Amino acid sequence: MRIHVSLLCVMIFCDSLAWAQSSAPVASALQASNVLNPNVSVIGWFQGESGQRKLGEGEEAPPAFQLKEAEIAFQSVVDPYARADFFVAVEPSEEKVDLEEGYLTWFNLPYDLALKVGKFKGNFGKFNRTHTPETAFSDRPIVHEKYFGEEGLSSMGGSLSWHVPNPWIFVDLNAEVLNMPKFSEVPAFDEARRKDLLYIGRLSGYYDLTESANFTLGTSYVHGSSGQEFDAISSSSKTLASQLYGLDITFRWKNPQRAIYRSFFWQTEAFWNKREISSLPSVKSFGLFTHLEYQFLRRWRVGGRYDWSESPSDDSQHEAGGLLYLTFAPSEFSLISVQGRQIKKPTGETENVGFLKITFNIGPHGAHPF
Amino acid sequence: MKKLAIGLVALIFSADVYASSKLQVVTTTEDLAALTREVGGDWVEATSIAKGSMDPHFVDAKPSYLLRLKRADLFIQVGLELEVAWAPPLLTNARNSKILPGNQGFLEASENCEILQKPTGQVDRSMGDVHPLGNPHFWLDPANGRIIALNISNKLSELDPSHAEDYKKNLALFQTRLTQKEKEWDRLVPELKGLKVVTYHNSWPNFAKRFGIQVVNFVEPKPGIPPSPAHVQSLIHQIKTEKILLILMEPYFDTKLPQKIAQETGAKLAIFPPSVGADKNIKTYLDLFDFGLKLLKNALSRSGEKS
Repeated sequence: MRIHVSLLCVMIFCDSLAWAQSSAPVASALQASNVLNPNVSVIGWFQGESGQRKLGEGEEAPPAFQLKEAEIAFQSVVDPYARADFFVAVEPSEEKVDLEEGYLTWFNLPYDLALKVGKFKGNFGKFNRTHTPETAFSDRPIVHEKYFGEEGLSSMGGSLSWHVPNPWIFVDLNAEVLNMPKFSEVPAFDEARRKDLLYIGRLSGYYDLTESANFTLGTSYVHGSSGQEFDAISSSSKTLASQLYGLDITFRWKNPQRAIYRSFFWQTEAFWNKREISSLPSVKSFGLFTHLEYQFLRRWRVGGRYDWSESPSDDSQHEAGGLLYLTFAPSEFSLISVQGRQIKKPTGETENVGFLKITFNIGPHGAHPF
Repeated sequence: MKKLAIGLVALIFSADVYASSKLQVVTTTEDLAALTREVGGDWVEATSIAKGSMDPHFVDAKPSYLLRLKRADLFIQVGLELEVAWAPPLLTNARNSKILPGNQGFLEASENCEILQKPTGQVDRSMGDVHPLGNPHFWLDPANGRIIALNISNKLSELDPSHAEDYKKNLALFQTRLTQKEKEWDRLVPELKGLKVVTYHNSWPNFAKRFGIQVVNFVEPKPGIPPSPAHVQSLIHQIKTEKILLILMEPYFDTKLPQKIAQETGAKLAIFPPSVGADKNIKTYLDLFDFGLKLLKNALSRSGEKS
């Protein structure tokens, strides 16, 4: 169903584009249709991989080369009150077309509020909302994969954001209600009943330390279900709860007078999870990642990430690892990154994998993420 | 303690926290802020997001800018997609409907200005980070500065009709001063006419046209693309062959390579400010041209006769 909806969106937009292009020379009145088309851009993500993966049961090693994803974005203002953003992920290796995000944002509400409805990535921490092709990595941090799965915490629902009014620092308070994702998609939670909901809260503050340095501090919380517990004697069932707490800090440095040459970035996110398990004591697990990146020349960056994470279903063992990368960006719109990752599995085995990540962007300027 | 907490909450929610009798104007560049101060006078408080020493193409859309945009009565941008990477996300996140495009508190400074180098035919990124609507560095012609000041005056009068007469008076005063300055600057034109220069980025087509300077090549092979060794060699050859005396560069690019080219060719390298505030002595829009033209004259006199 999801694939059909995504395909339908693509067809509708492609059709409107084709119509606008073919009719463009006919009359200026029709050219207006072209002007009003949404911004369309595509990010291609090609990936090569070498090394021996230590695979679990049912897992399959990826091929040496794959076009991991083509992320197609359609973005436009809808009317004076709202804008819409659609991100369609085409994954040829998985034979999958998925509407990764599709949401409407009313940005023009009173009292410094903004309301978002649709399918979107939950506002938990800072990393979750970034699409993988746009991150510095070939993968997602272990803690994110363990708790939020391969695609991140994402579902359908609504999000209300409030910029806490004060003239000193930027503070955002965010509350979201989403459909409960399935365990197979987001392992920290599990839908118990069809209409179970996931509640996310986030408070974050941003502060300029100097003209060059700034930091963001955020705290997040999610409350959801983690399946059901059945009582055979009374024939009743109880919804089990999973609560996830997050803390994130991001520090950036960039000399604004030499903005394109040197920068430094540090981000750390930590997760604490308390997950009720049927007939067993709750699992209290923890995980974190920390990421450092230094841009030492206009087109060159070097970075590293350290991961340590338990699993939301098992706090008795953990995985730890690290990833190092060297990235060359020929322009703002493409990059080539060589990466090496080592993971120490709970079994004691060590997995060493090398990646080649190439991403390329066509279409209008994307906003520089901050 | 309870009273302190109540007081703090009251302060946060009080509109007085932001209250100001002056019209709050936020501009994308210092040049627009300087022109707004000329026209707005005492009735306006104008601040810029990008400082004069920053590259206006590459500004981080920091959340701290939202605090200023939230309180703004007017937002002025250069336009022609100069700020396309950072102004739109700031505007849509500022939660201030007054300053959104199409609303009364939004102004694009390029309206009615002379825009050069509008690409014709197919435009794509093989041409570098090209601006499909024309070169956005148009404020570097005083004739366009005059038009921008008029645009700002009209907008301020529309937003604050009670001081419309003051804005008109300030505009007239500015235009008179600009006319006088233009006469001074025009006396330098014969000296500069035909002067061949190389610039780092394509920032000065309007300036060059106005003052008769010939920009023969760029250190960047294409806008936003760093120079390759082959391009540098060909540029060195061109500078030597055509006896080009000056290499002009913006203050936000690395000087290493242009210095090397200057050393190898004997040309003089000058950091040429493209915006108000790029040098501590450039405080107004008129200072920008005074400073630039003086710099060119001094560089020329030190380099001997122009080619």
